[in-house]
Amino acid sequence: MRNKKILIVDDDPDVLQGMHLRLKANQYDVCLAVDTFSGVAEARRSEPDLILLDLGLPAGGGFMVMERLKLIPTLAIIPIIVVSARDGLGNQKRAFDAGAKAFLQKPVDDNQLLAVIRQTLGEPAGAKRPTLQDQGAV
Amino acid sequence: MPKQPGSNLSAYLSHELRNALACIQQFGKILVDGLAGELTGEQREYVGIMLENASRIRSVLDSALDGVPRPPEKCANQVERVSKLET
Repeated sequence: MRNKKILIVDDDPDVLQGMHLRLKANQYDVCLAVDTFSGVAEARRSEPDLILLDLGLPAGGGFMVMERLKLIPTLAIIPIIVVSARDGLGNQKRAFDAGAKAFLQKPVDDNQLLAVIRQTLGEPAGAKRPTLQDQGAV
Repeated sequence: MPKQPGSNLSAYLSHELRNALACIQQFGKILVDGLAGELTGEQREYVGIMLENASRIRSVLDSALDGVPRPPEKCANQVERVSKLET
């Protein structure tokens, strides 16, 4: 069974690197984008199973990414989890209205993030994906 | 940084602090979980202290944004550590 592919769109390289490490350790394939345009372009190129999307992105922002993806039928169905440092009051409603499956406010606990990812991907709750250590790779 | 004081400044500070805090917590947990190699017991303890204090900052941040100022609570682990240092 192939690994699920997750696209992370965030303009903070430290956030990207941290999420990348955590997701790779949980046997997800990861692709990255740092702004609005590259987020849409990378989604078209890699057709991920799920997108983790920041809202405060250069050249438009996360909501624009969602609008653009909606216009492309093959990409409109990709579930999006918004992971943002913005306040949850207005942004959460707006994100759900735009089609997001979940809204997580930074800083996000890794276990919570993984649980929401699993739930969104329809993976069994609490199912432990084999880690690199389990496989003797580390 | 926004030039106008008030809610814009508050939103800006919240955004920047939350992003920075997210990175501190994320990489701290990466170290504790051994994703960058196994830590010694002492190293694990020190990273744990960092994470604990990051949680305190988050608690203060959340409280401040809720508009309900609350002093950060010292957890039992901190009290225990102080006791150890004093003996």
